Amino acid sequence: MTPGSTSDLTPALQATGIHKSYGRHPVLRGADLTVAPGQLVAVVGENGAGKSTLLKVLAGTLPADRGEVALSGAFGYCPQDPVLNGALTVAQHLRYFAAARRLPDVERGHELVRLLGYERYEQSAAADLSGGTRQKLNLTLALLHDPDVLLLDEPYQGFDWETYLRFWDLVEDLRARGKAVVIITHLIFEQDRFDLLADLTDGRLIPRTASLEDHHVGA
Amino acid sequence: MSAPDTARARPLHGQFPTALRFSVRDQTRNRLAGLLLGLFVPVWYLVMDAMASGQVLDFKLYATGEVLHVDGAHLTLISAGLNSVTMIAGFVVFDAVRKAVAFDRRLVYAGYRQTVLISAKALAIAAVAAAIALYTALAILLFWRPTAAGWFAVLAGFAAIALAYGALGLLLGVLVKRDLEGFFLIIMGGLMDTFLQNPLGNPLANKPVLQWFPSFGPMQFAVGGAFGHTALWGHLALGLVWAAAFGTVGLAVFRLRTRNRTRTR
Repeated sequence: MTPGSTSDLTPALQATGIHKSYGRHPVLRGADLTVAPGQLVAVVGENGAGKSTLLKVLAGTLPADRGEVALSGAFGYCPQDPVLNGALTVAQHLRYFAAARRLPDVERGHELVRLLGYERYEQSAAADLSGGTRQKLNLTLALLHDPDVLLLDEPYQGFDWETYLRFWDLVEDLRARGKAVVIITHLIFEQDRFDLLADLTDGRLIPRTASLEDHHVGA
Repeated sequence: MSAPDTARARPLHGQFPTALRFSVRDQTRNRLAGLLLGLFVPVWYLVMDAMASGQVLDFKLYATGEVLHVDGAHLTLISAGLNSVTMIAGFVVFDAVRKAVAFDRRLVYAGYRQTVLISAKALAIAAVAAAIALYTALAILLFWRPTAAGWFAVLAGFAAIALAYGALGLLLGVLVKRDLEGFFLIIMGGLMDTFLQNPLGNPLANKPVLQWFPSFGPMQFAVGGAFGHTALWGHLALGLVWAAAFGTVGLAVFRLRTRNRTRTR
């Protein structure tokens, strides 16, 4: 895949030469990442490797010191810690984000709630939900508008086994429909689920296996 | 970041009514504030009424220069009401705003127009502040029956200070990091501010320095209307200027803290 060569091959997400330091401490030192539509990529790194910093830069919530990030189409971001309003119910969250996205209905929201198996909590306030259910709602809000590029920060943290499997069904469906998905995590259980694994080491992204080098990840 | 390709059909939920509804809901779910309104306000009135009963106090109206000789209990009820309003309005708004900053930022990233969110939030704060002022002014009738015009002056004074402290709550909600700092500033600020306006055992009362406190204008307006049969509109406006100043700075900081830095190609 050559970025920009034809419209069909336009990457969904392309980050080039991302640098980011906190004071004198460099965290990202020229990280590159290209993700095609329908591709599922894992960015793996130890605690403190700069995964969240990279994700924030990719999501645009944190400006990079240097480098470029380009996204194609609608974008969804699921933060590691659920960002919810404890006073509002699940259904009210769906309505609030449907208004934000200017959606004609909240059908996709209800579908996601069913897919993740927490429909009985639709009328419960977020403050009363368990950690796992809060994470499901967090993910639902990121997926509500059916984005073309999805960035997920430790998305299955707190999920039970059944929900973990439901999560992967959902991701498979997204991938089959040509959505680009980037998952940032410190632990990978099933490497073969991914098209590409990239290790965040010394501020750069390195593809984990040589056979995957043609996925255009690396310095 | 909004998703232009999702704006095909008419949105089911308008941004302004949705944000207004949920902002009001957010600010009325505070059980402690409800308890304070239900219990603290009448008990505080009762205590202050008993403490100042039978005393005659001198209160200076700055607009006219007139010094009123007023029933100490009634004057103290007004300052107790102002004090309750400062604490409850400030606390309700501070708590709701502080807890929702990250969520509001997420809404903006999801495509909420910041101006719509800000207007809805400002209107919700004004509505909640007005409701707190109305309740506190109604509760005063259990202890004192001023003339209708006098009661409306008290209500207007309470509404102005509720707006000022609601706006201060907003400002602190977007500025301070921890609950304790905000609560301390609101409670101590409100206590100092309203206590100093009352000449009951306070040597500073009726001194010009008081003009620099937020509750000065509302107190002057309420006392002028309740005891002096005069409407000091300029002083009421002074309370609203404090509200506008706190509110403007608070909303500007809110705008900065929730701004969207993302971009698409």
